[in-house]
Amino acid sequence: MRYALYLGCAIPIKYPGFEAATRLVCERVGIELVDLPFSCCPPPTSMKLVHYDSWLALAARNLCLAEEAGLDLLTLCSGCVNTLKEANHILKQSDSKRRKVNRILEDHKHQFNGTIKVTHILDVLYQDSVVERLLKERVRDVPLRIGCHYGCHYFRPPKIMYPQELSDAESYVPVSMDHLLSIIGVEPVEYSRKFLCCGSPLGANMDQDAGYEITRQKLGHIRDRNIQALSVVCPSCFEQFDMGQIVLGRKTKEKEKIPTFYLTQLIGLALGLSSKDVGLDVHRVKAKKLLESIEVA
Amino acid sequence: MADLNGIRIGVYVCHCGKNIGGTVRCDEVAEYARQLPGVALATDSLYTCSEPGQEQIKHDIREHQLNRVVVASCTPRLHEPTFRAACESAGLNPYLLEMANIREHCSWVHLHDKDAATEKAKDLVAMAVGRAAKLMPQFEVTVPVARKAMVIGGGVAGIQAALDMADAGYQVYLVERTGSIGGRMAQIDKTFPTMDCSICILAPKMSEVGRHPNIELLTLSEVQEVQGHIGNFKVKVLKKARYVTKECTACGDCIKASPQHAPDEFNAGLSIRRAIYIPFAQAVPSTFLVDMDRCLNNSGIVACDRCFQACSHKCIDFAANDEVLDLDVGTIVVATGVDVYDPTALTELGYGKFPNVITTLEFERLINAGGPSGGELIRPSDRRRPQRVAFLQCIGSRSKRSNPYCSNVCCMNTVKDALLIKEHWPDTEIYVFYIDIRAFGKGFEDLFQRARREGVTFVRGIPGEIIEDIKTGDLTLLGENTLLGKHYRHRMDMVILSVGIKPHKDADKIQRLLNLATDTDGFYMEAHPKLRPVDTTTGGVFLAGAAEGPKDIKDSVTQASAAASRANILMSRGEVKIPAITSRIDPKKCTACGLCARVCPYHAIEGSKEQGFYRVIEAACQGCGACVPECRFGALDQTHFTEDQIVSQINAALASDPHDKILAFACNWCSYAGADFAGVSRIQYPHNVRIIRTMCSARVSPSWIEKAFIMGAGAVLVSGCHPADCHYNNANQNTARRVERFWKRMEKQGINKDRLRLAWVSAAEGAQFAKVIKEMEAGLKKLTSQQIQEAAEKLQKSLTKKSEAT
Amino acid sequence: MTIKIWKHFPREDLYECYQCARCTGSCPAMEVAPAYGPRETILKCLNLGHDKVVEDEKVWLCCTCNVCEDRCPQKIPISDLLVALRNSAARRGNIPTRLSMALELLAKTGRSMIVHQLDEMRAHHGLSPLPAAPVEELRDILKKTGRDEVIEF
Repeated sequence: MRYALYLGCAIPIKYPGFEAATRLVCERVGIELVDLPFSCCPPPTSMKLVHYDSWLALAARNLCLAEEAGLDLLTLCSGCVNTLKEANHILKQSDSKRRKVNRILEDHKHQFNGTIKVTHILDVLYQDSVVERLLKERVRDVPLRIGCHYGCHYFRPPKIMYPQELSDAESYVPVSMDHLLSIIGVEPVEYSRKFLCCGSPLGANMDQDAGYEITRQKLGHIRDRNIQALSVVCPSCFEQFDMGQIVLGRKTKEKEKIPTFYLTQLIGLALGLSSKDVGLDVHRVKAKKLLESIEVA
Repeated sequence: MADLNGIRIGVYVCHCGKNIGGTVRCDEVAEYARQLPGVALATDSLYTCSEPGQEQIKHDIREHQLNRVVVASCTPRLHEPTFRAACESAGLNPYLLEMANIREHCSWVHLHDKDAATEKAKDLVAMAVGRAAKLMPQFEVTVPVARKAMVIGGGVAGIQAALDMADAGYQVYLVERTGSIGGRMAQIDKTFPTMDCSICILAPKMSEVGRHPNIELLTLSEVQEVQGHIGNFKVKVLKKARYVTKECTACGDCIKASPQHAPDEFNAGLSIRRAIYIPFAQAVPSTFLVDMDRCLNNSGIVACDRCFQACSHKCIDFAANDEVLDLDVGTIVVATGVDVYDPTALTELGYGKFPNVITTLEFERLINAGGPSGGELIRPSDRRRPQRVAFLQCIGSRSKRSNPYCSNVCCMNTVKDALLIKEHWPDTEIYVFYIDIRAFGKGFEDLFQRARREGVTFVRGIPGEIIEDIKTGDLTLLGENTLLGKHYRHRMDMVILSVGIKPHKDADKIQRLLNLATDTDGFYMEAHPKLRPVDTTTGGVFLAGAAEGPKDIKDSVTQASAAASRANILMSRGEVKIPAITSRIDPKKCTACGLCARVCPYHAIEGSKEQGFYRVIEAACQGCGACVPECRFGALDQTHFTEDQIVSQINAALASDPHDKILAFACNWCSYAGADFAGVSRIQYPHNVRIIRTMCSARVSPSWIEKAFIMGAGAVLVSGCHPADCHYNNANQNTARRVERFWKRMEKQGINKDRLRLAWVSAAEGAQFAKVIKEMEAGLKKLTSQQIQEAAEKLQKSLTKKSEAT
Repeated sequence: MTIKIWKHFPREDLYECYQCARCTGSCPAMEVAPAYGPRETILKCLNLGHDKVVEDEKVWLCCTCNVCEDRCPQKIPISDLLVALRNSAARRGNIPTRLSMALELLAKTGRSMIVHQLDEMRAHHGLSPLPAAPVEELRDILKKTGRDEVIEF
């Protein structure tokens, strides 16, 4: 299994620990990753809102690099997967948009042909063959009560992100992370408004306080279920929960903080990697005590 | 142009007010018709179907010795009987009338192109005149109508229809799938707008059915097969074993003995019943039954007989068997009713996850004195009485994500439910979240006013999200009050989802058995939405209740009486005329090969090689015409849809500019009606299509397709009912087979096979018909005249070769 | 410079809205920073014209979470509408400062964020330095797509 690894911006720059964990996990389960000179995706929360044509062209360039290497794109971030999946879909569907974009890209010797698929690390790990490998490679359980947060851009709009799941479902919600984590001994816990936004885009673009207010509400529902930690698949969601609890803590004086993990960090721990290996040491809300309580270090 | 072997045709071009006259220049069409061979006179009039319009026709028949009449107006599916009657009263055989459909198939679908519409109308009139010249007088045979009826479905509509027919003196079989009649109405606590006790007014009717000498009640029964036709249906009904005999006194001693439990369907799953049970207290028949899926004595093994031991009358019989009953009936009333929408899929509302979110049907059982809580309104989570109750409207209705239509009854049902709560517990705070309150019926607005006066709060704006407090089970509703433009958070003790209704899950089975049409929402379609609202396109079959469309109890009962009355007319007359459209075999040409008998869906052709001939049994022939194209020797033909008649229509349709035209064959029941529906819906499509009607698409002969292409038709469409919906017992599988064979031939001869299209279009699919024509038009534009010419020559050559060989 | 947004979004889709407010009801931004939510946005577009919407800075109060579109019973592509409206707003100079700063960074570095001592931080996690993005190529693409006409740096 070979993929072009699409890192995006936030992970390699802000949270290289996620990258390290992902590379180590992929190596262990037999997924080969190829690095290509990608640029910013660009995010569905910024460039797309301001200048759609630029958003589409830059996304197309990233897709072209993978096409030229003949590899499917593996993303690590909900924003990246949203942009690249949607752009891939639009450019395959619309002749006029594809022509327009190709006219611009041809000056740089790229041409969009629509030959590859875009996927996300969660979906790659959730494949049957990889799950089998994970079961074999697993050396310990991570028996925590964990709340999964998928991140809106990972699955919405379903007509683009998960069209195959849409047949009869009137509202589609994903379950893959809950299922995947349960195989490493995690107890996935349902909580109210599980599919509510983390608040990040609102904070980033307009109103930081309002964004954190959403985070605060969501954390309230999470606390109601005595959830010990969160699992996410997006660096923006991560930051909102990790940094967000520090910021919110100054106002709310809430002492109990809930650590957040990026998915591959949890999987890495189950494969025997150390906290340092998967980059937990730089998180603002520390998971050290929690991991010690279950004898995972 | 008069005189063509004594043929004198009168042509009447109708303006239909502005409906046709606003688009088609009718005077110009009449002027054109005067030039056509055989036409003795042609005129245009404002409303041909009016009394003066009909009188004009009668007058002309007598005065001008007309022996054929062509009316160019609306679809023959609407006014053919009218004009046939006019002809008959003037002494002309009704089968000498022909209609040109210049409204549904022309003016309404080409509203913005007067020139093209006028030219098309001329073609359609020429086609009708061509066919009219070949028409022959026909005489209809009369068949007896059995004075027995079957009603499918034992809800309030089925009950009413059965009683009305039984009271009129006819034998009625009432077929009900479950263990008791009563249907949805029996589950409801009170009715709106009068707040009557639902079961109190229904139960007397149910008992009346039970003891009526003319009604045979068949519960736990399902219709399996329907053969025959109007006046003479042969029905097979599967009557499942009840395992309890009629001697049962419903004493209930067996219940306590039964060890097996199941959710109680009548109480919407809110309580538990045993494996032996009676559906509800007022059930008719008042006899227990055994649910064999739950009973331990399945598949002949008797592992437990506790109920038998407990029964003092010994009326439990584990050896009972299912039986299949053969019924002969003359008429059928379909009253299969509705299911309620299951809101589980709307995850944001938490139904199925949050115990205190319930549906309106569950609420009806909760507030009913015979229900699981004895009429106490309690929350499922903690059995506490709720102080704050919310109703959410339009759940599963008016939504492209569930059912797109308005379910009609939910608004008033909620208003009634809110008042019921206020009546019993006036201090309860009630919020109704709505989009529009539709209080359109008699007494509805009064009830709505009363609810507001009693303090029910109506908030415009459906919540987008429900959050459950896991500690208390309370629910928080998030949404926007659109009238205030403000976001709200309402904390509620209980939420009631006002769920919509949808056709019964078995509706499609009945639809296939009876060849009914359904609309895009799945409800049965009426023969005409305004003027034949309880008839179906299948003669002798009538509709009652919500199976035809969402409706309340009053409307269901009204419609049931109407359906019974329509059936009673047939049964009281005792006979019915059947159209003279049967097939016939020319014994001189018949070689007794038997191919025709093999394709007949009704076994209406008998004979043998030994006998040396085959013949059509006229009483059994339904007039689909599927046999005719099968004969290689031209020995068969169909009355009133003869080869001659259709070929003259083809000739007229392709007389000018054939390269630009699409010749379409459409079956009477689905595709022609679908094209009519496109007209009624004013769906615009290209004007170059010319439609020829046959009863079934299986009548379409490959030789017609061949002829059309030889004449240079740009494209040919063959369209019929969807494969499982054929009105002639799947005769249209022959259509598919013949078209496929023709495609192969085209491929072999190097002709673009996209020029022949096969499309299944139902009566409700006007948009689909328009789409097919648009696609064909797009394909046509890519063709060159030369390609069409070359293809015509190739086909002509092979045709000549074939005829030389024979 | 203005663009006609109905070239980018089929206006007829909005006619199907019957104002049930499920969209606004589920909108997380509306709960915390009352703006006017998708329902009112659609109504304003229909009744007052979209000018009234795109001139207001509140058009940016949105999480882009798309839950509104998920809930819409009429399947109106609300997220596409909101993208079209904000593109139009940006062209009229109605654009949040934070957002234009982020886009400036993207044009300059090919990435949407920047930190000090990146190489050291990556080395701490055992990762090699991040190669620079092909900035010239990106700038050229952005110039040709016409973005520079909208945001000048």
